[in-house]
Amino acid sequence: MNCPNCGKPVADRRNRCELCGQDVTVYRKVYRLSNLYYNKGLEKAKVRDLSGAVLLLKRSLEMNKRNTHARNLLGLVYYEMGETVAALSEWVISKNFQEEENDAEYYMNLVQSNPNRLDQLNQAIKKYNYALSSALQESEDLAIIQLKKVISLNPKFLRALQLLALLYMKTGEYEKARKLLVRASKIDVSNTVTLRYLRELNSLASGEGQNGKKESADPAAQFEVQTSYREDKPNVMAYVNLVLGILIGIVFVYFVIVPGIRTGLNEEFVAKQRDYSSQIAGLNASIDSLESENKLLESKATELQKELDSIVIPEYDRNMYDSLLTAVEEYLNYTKEATPEGAIAIAALISELDTSGMENENAEDISTLIKDAIYPTAAEELYKQAKALYDEKKYDEALPLFQTLVTYDMSVGNYVYYTARCYHRSGDGAGAVPYYDYVVEHFPGTVIARDADELRKGLQ
Amino acid sequence: MCNVINYEEEIAKFQPSLEVDQAEEAIYNNDLTDIMDILAMVTKGKNETEK
Repeated sequence: MNCPNCGKPVADRRNRCELCGQDVTVYRKVYRLSNLYYNKGLEKAKVRDLSGAVLLLKRSLEMNKRNTHARNLLGLVYYEMGETVAALSEWVISKNFQEEENDAEYYMNLVQSNPNRLDQLNQAIKKYNYALSSALQESEDLAIIQLKKVISLNPKFLRALQLLALLYMKTGEYEKARKLLVRASKIDVSNTVTLRYLRELNSLASGEGQNGKKESADPAAQFEVQTSYREDKPNVMAYVNLVLGILIGIVFVYFVIVPGIRTGLNEEFVAKQRDYSSQIAGLNASIDSLESENKLLESKATELQKELDSIVIPEYDRNMYDSLLTAVEEYLNYTKEATPEGAIAIAALISELDTSGMENENAEDISTLIKDAIYPTAAEELYKQAKALYDEKKYDEALPLFQTLVTYDMSVGNYVYYTARCYHRSGDGAGAVPYYDYVVEHFPGTVIARDADELRKGLQ
Repeated sequence: MCNVINYEEEIAKFQPSLEVDQAEEAIYNNDLTDIMDILAMVTKGKNETEK
C-alpha cells in the first residue's frame, strides 16, 4: 500500500512509512477491510446477487476509494443491471485513480467502441425516464408501451423490468408481471424489490392481496382465474363489436344519409326537368312558327314559280337577224349598182322579215328604212312585169306578182284591183270578191271603184 | 402476510436514470470521501494538536 500522508509505497511488513514516519497500522487495516468487502462482493456477483454485490462493493469503496478492482467490479455490476451511466461513471473514476494497468479502460472501450449500442442504451434510458413520468401521471398504458420498448432495447434494465411488472400488477395483469419479475430475478437473484413484488404478486394471485375480490377455497383455481392467460386468446367480443359497429354504420348511411341524397337528387332532377320542359315548349313554339313561315314561303315560291313558268321568253331567232343582215348586205350592194331586179330581190327579203320578234328597235328601223328606199322601185318594176303578164292574159302568173304588190303597198288601188281581176279572170270569183270590196270601200269615186263594184255585182 | 401494496408510492420510489450526457455531472457529484480520507484528516488534526 501507499502511505496516505506522502503517497510513497510502504512495505507490507512495516507499520510506519519509512519516508515520512506516518503510522499506517490503521490504514493497513482499513485497506484490508476494503479488500475483504471487495472479495465478498465478488462472491456475490459470481452468484448473481448483484444487489448484495453492490452493497459490499460500495462498502469496500467507502473504506478505500482507490480500490480500483472494487470500483471496476461495481461498474460491471451496474452495467449488468442496465445502469449504463453509473457503470461508465465508476470506470471513469477508476481510470482517474489508476491510469496504468486498469481494466476500466478496457470496459469503457467495449461500451464506447460501438456507438450504435451506446445510443441504443441511451435511448432505453430516455424511454425509461419518459415511462416513469407517464406512470407518475397515472398513464399506465403509455408507460407500459414505453417500458416494453425499453426492455427490447436493453433486456437487462432491471429497474425497467421492475417498473413494468409493477404496472402490470396495477392493471391486473399478474401473469405478465410474474414473468417479468422472474426475468428480473434471473438478473439479480436477491433484489429486494423484485422479491417483494413477487411476494405481493403471490398474495394477489392467491386472493389475499389488496383487491381480495375473489375468495376461493382453492387458491390455485383463483390464481388461474386472475391470470392474464385469457388475454392471449383472440378477443371475440372485440371483433363482434367491430362488425356490429360496421353494420350500424351501414344501416345509418342507408336509412339516413342515402334518403337525403336521393331527395336532393330528385329535387334537382325535377328542377332540371322543368327547365328542359320549358325549353322544349319554347323550341316547339319556334318550330311551329318556323313551319308556318316555311309553308308561307313555299306557297310564295310556288306562286312565283307559276309566274315564272307563265312568262314566255321569245326565243331568239338567229335567222331573223341573219335575214335582216342579208337584206342590209344586198341593199349596200344595191346602192353601189342599182338594178330593178336587185330592188325586187331586196324587197322580197324585207317582206319576208318578221320584225315583231326583234327586241332591237334599230333592227326594225333599218327594215323600215330599207323598205322605204326599195319598195317604190321594186313595186314599179314588179307592177310592169305583172301588168305585162296580165295584158298577155297570163293571169295565173300575174296573180302572185300582184299579191306581192298588195303586200308592199295596199294604198295603190291598181295593185288591189288587178289582184281581184286576176282571181276573177282565172275563175276564182270568191277569191276576187274581198279585193273588189276593198277597192270599192277605199277608193270610192274612182274608175276602178265603179268597175269593181259592177264586177262584184256580176259575181253575186 | 397480507401486505397491501400502494402502487403510487411504489412508483414514486423509482428514480429517473441518468442519461449518457449526464455522466460527467454524475462523476463530479460523486462523493469520493472514504475512511482513508477521514483517518488522514483525523491524524493530521492530531499531529497539529500535538505540535
